[in-house]
Amino acid sequence: MASYNLNEILKAKAGRTGNQVAVGLDDVARVKVLSPGRQVFKRFIRNRLAVFGTVLLIIMFVFSFLGPVFYPCGQKEIFYKYDSQNINYALAKEITSYTGYTLSSDISVPRTVTTSVNSVAKSLIEADEDVAILLSDDGEFLLRKVNDDVFVLSSVDAPKVASVGEGRALIGTYDMISGQISFTGQDIEGLLEALTKNFNRTGGNFTFEGVKYSYEKDVAKSYNIYSEMDGVVTFDNSLPESFAGAFEKAADDSAFSFTAGGKTYCIVKGITGSDAYAVSGSEKNALVYTRLTFNVISSDVKVSDQLKANALLNISGGNSFDVDGVKYKITENDGLLILKDSDDKEVAELSSFSVRRYTGEDSIDYDLKKEIEEIVIAMAESGKTTEKFMYNLPYQDENGIYVYDEEGNLQYSEAELTVTQRYTGEYVINCDQVIYVIDMFASSSKEHILGTDGDGFDVLARIMYGGRVSLMVGFVVVFLEIFIGVIMGGLAGYYGGWVDNLIMRLVDIFYCLPSLPIMIILGATMDSMRMDTYIRLIIMMATLGFLGWASVARMVRGQILSLREQEFMVAAEATGIRVRKRIFRHLIPNVMPQLIVIATMGMGSVILTESTLSFLGLGVKHPLATWGTIINSVSSATAMAHYQHIWIPVGLLICLTVIAFNFVGDGLRDAYDPKSKR
Amino acid sequence: MAKFIIKRLLYSILILFFVMFLIYVLMYNMPTSFVETKARELASRPGAAKSYTEWLADLNAQYGMDKGVVQGYLVWLSNAVRGNWGDSWQWTIPVLEKFNNTVWYSFALGLVSFIFEVIIAIPLGITAAKKQYSFADYFTTVVAMISISLPTFFLATLLKYVFAVKLGWVDLTGMQGRDYQFLSTFGKFLDLAKHFALPAVTLTVIGIGSLMRYTRTNMLEVLNSDYIRTARAKGVPEKKVIGKHAFRNTLIPLVTMLGGMLPSLFAGALITETLFGIRGIGYASYYSMTQADIPFIMFYLAFISVLTLLGNLISDLLYAAVDPRVRLS
Repeated sequence: MASYNLNEILKAKAGRTGNQVAVGLDDVARVKVLSPGRQVFKRFIRNRLAVFGTVLLIIMFVFSFLGPVFYPCGQKEIFYKYDSQNINYALAKEITSYTGYTLSSDISVPRTVTTSVNSVAKSLIEADEDVAILLSDDGEFLLRKVNDDVFVLSSVDAPKVASVGEGRALIGTYDMISGQISFTGQDIEGLLEALTKNFNRTGGNFTFEGVKYSYEKDVAKSYNIYSEMDGVVTFDNSLPESFAGAFEKAADDSAFSFTAGGKTYCIVKGITGSDAYAVSGSEKNALVYTRLTFNVISSDVKVSDQLKANALLNISGGNSFDVDGVKYKITENDGLLILKDSDDKEVAELSSFSVRRYTGEDSIDYDLKKEIEEIVIAMAESGKTTEKFMYNLPYQDENGIYVYDEEGNLQYSEAELTVTQRYTGEYVINCDQVIYVIDMFASSSKEHILGTDGDGFDVLARIMYGGRVSLMVGFVVVFLEIFIGVIMGGLAGYYGGWVDNLIMRLVDIFYCLPSLPIMIILGATMDSMRMDTYIRLIIMMATLGFLGWASVARMVRGQILSLREQEFMVAAEATGIRVRKRIFRHLIPNVMPQLIVIATMGMGSVILTESTLSFLGLGVKHPLATWGTIINSVSSATAMAHYQHIWIPVGLLICLTVIAFNFVGDGLRDAYDPKSKR
Repeated sequence: MAKFIIKRLLYSILILFFVMFLIYVLMYNMPTSFVETKARELASRPGAAKSYTEWLADLNAQYGMDKGVVQGYLVWLSNAVRGNWGDSWQWTIPVLEKFNNTVWYSFALGLVSFIFEVIIAIPLGITAAKKQYSFADYFTTVVAMISISLPTFFLATLLKYVFAVKLGWVDLTGMQGRDYQFLSTFGKFLDLAKHFALPAVTLTVIGIGSLMRYTRTNMLEVLNSDYIRTARAKGVPEKKVIGKHAFRNTLIPLVTMLGGMLPSLFAGALITETLFGIRGIGYASYYSMTQADIPFIMFYLAFISVLTLLGNLISDLLYAAVDPRVRLS
């Protein structure tokens, strides 16, 4: 229906007749008629709070649904930044443990041997000896000292030739009554005769086949027989005469090896005595152990493990040696061991002082290594624990990228390095470096208007996406509530009788169900099942809708009960319209105003519930943003105190949105039915 | 009257029966892995009363979890009716003992905020209605709307931020100060009161809105009714019109609503108590819910269902008692 504007009609009349026409008081044209929709609209816009709410809602929708389209940051986009930080640049220390380089891969060295090399090597240095034997189930190995820094481990054939020591071993018990010896190990023939020949009831000793035995009373009429070891027992008849004396002397000195008759013997100390092993046959070199590190001087030569191993073998003596067809030589000057190639070019320096990047990689250039070594020596002399010095380090721009010039050479810039001694004796070198980190809790800037949160997400972007999810949850849940509610309420109201009774009892039950506790339990269950966050979202919406339809059904039923009796329904019935059409074409549209009001108000409360659940961490989960999770991410006491710029705006947004929905809902209700209860 | 009460009671019991059945079905269908993992976790905590197998055996004995849904429900119901609610997993004491330990804190908190709500909301609502469309009316409407729309957790966080972090007047969470044990009885009371202040404010602010709107709406309705016009027409002083004629009639719906709210004072405030660390029943049940403490959850859900039904019953009865025009049938 069009509206009638009195002035226009008067003008039109005046225009037709050309002069002023008097309009009677009862002229139809004086009555201004508005269509019902316009009436509602006019009443609605007269309500200032409702208009405020509408504007707020429009802003909120534009912000959350159109905002992300124009805002460059995504909701799950993690931002990084370059930050100058004082980092642990390098670690310097005197190497004390020995590292092995394989000489021959044919020989397998058991782990029991390799793990004991370090301690044996240190004891060899302490005892100032040259060679020691390491035993294993897979054969014997010889550790030979080249100098204090280099040891060679070789596989060798070394039979056990003799034992020395004092001790006794139980070999059996003698029972006087039966006159028998029960041996613990192997039977020794003739021992019984030797024992009984000179038997003494209190105990005693005797010799049999060159071995001393003793016996002691254990219990009544029973004696323990021990074999006594004393002095050298040899297992090899070909040993030289001087052997026994030298062995005993060496064993007394707890030496690692001794020579007798021009041959070398190694000693392994046991608990009761020591064993001697004759080193015979050729030694097959397996590994070379060293505590030296190769500080590369010229970077064009790759110092391979093979080169290292060969260099170590030839460390003393100044011989030249071949690796891959290139001749190398080790020279010593000023106490520095330098590895040179055939052109007399310095390749690497061998030193027991290691300087490495803190991460362990060997990428520091030689000059800096030397500089640090000098400073450390000076510090050790002066007793200082920290020292600062300047050095040219590879230059990084503010993005942490190394800068090269036109020829592709690294650019250097002067940086201050700090050397600090640790309590463990190591030296740490610190300096400022530009590194790439997650941009956490950044304050507002041009790129991040509200800053970033604890995960490096842009807060404003997350608020926008969060708004999307929150509003969408509201829509879906309210739609579900209305959908179920209208069907149930419509059926109950239209049919009445037992259908009405049944449905209303169901409504009563759902009214009574505590929905927040149920949602919390559901959330905790889904938590433990590690459910996907999108599936959670869907389940949450479905459950909220399913738990919330009762009030809609009750309202719809009430309305329909009164509408059912009205004339137009009687007419509808009389014209024979089908039941379904009567309900959904004639009754439900009449409930529409109330439904719209209830939906608008419901949106607010659903958003509240959703944000509460998400805040508790039981609703929508982390990478997906909602307003609740954003506040949750800064809800700890410290974050709360320092990151108000995150949680206060979001909290206000929730509040404003809910207020806006309530205002609009209120305004709509007043507009539809001015006489209704507020 | 008596007939009506009995009828309503029986009806409530019937509803309760089905509500509890729904809740039981929910518990019954909890993923076994979840329940078992949580039981194992809780059993391995120091001070756990029982081992995990004992708990699961208890669960079967008491909740009939190993039987069919209906049979199991009847097992549980017969236990529950006899007051046998089992031992809480999370709190390692009998459920009823934990309930008794916690419910009074919740009640105190609820009562204090309820009183404040009534004191603040009703006068404001009446003032707003008296001068409809005035500034006071708009102010009240907006305040009520804000109160309804404020998320509890946001208000709680805001209050904590202002009063605990910035001003340092109260503790961030918890119910007692550090030196609680050394205080005199009165000192203990003051300490508790100080810790209850922020939660009480939170609950009051959240609850004020709906009561204010309700008061205003009903007062407006009364003020627009014929007998008020008659009273004014015959020259009754405005004070008397408002105080005697209008307010008394507004009281009818108000008393009905407030009476219905009384049982919920025992229900506890789930979120407020959790956020402020008030060890009331809401706090206890929240942690029980997240830890799958089935005995306590079942008890709590049954408890609040009873409270809801009781609230409805009370408000129906009060409606009849306060308003002589209403006849019960």
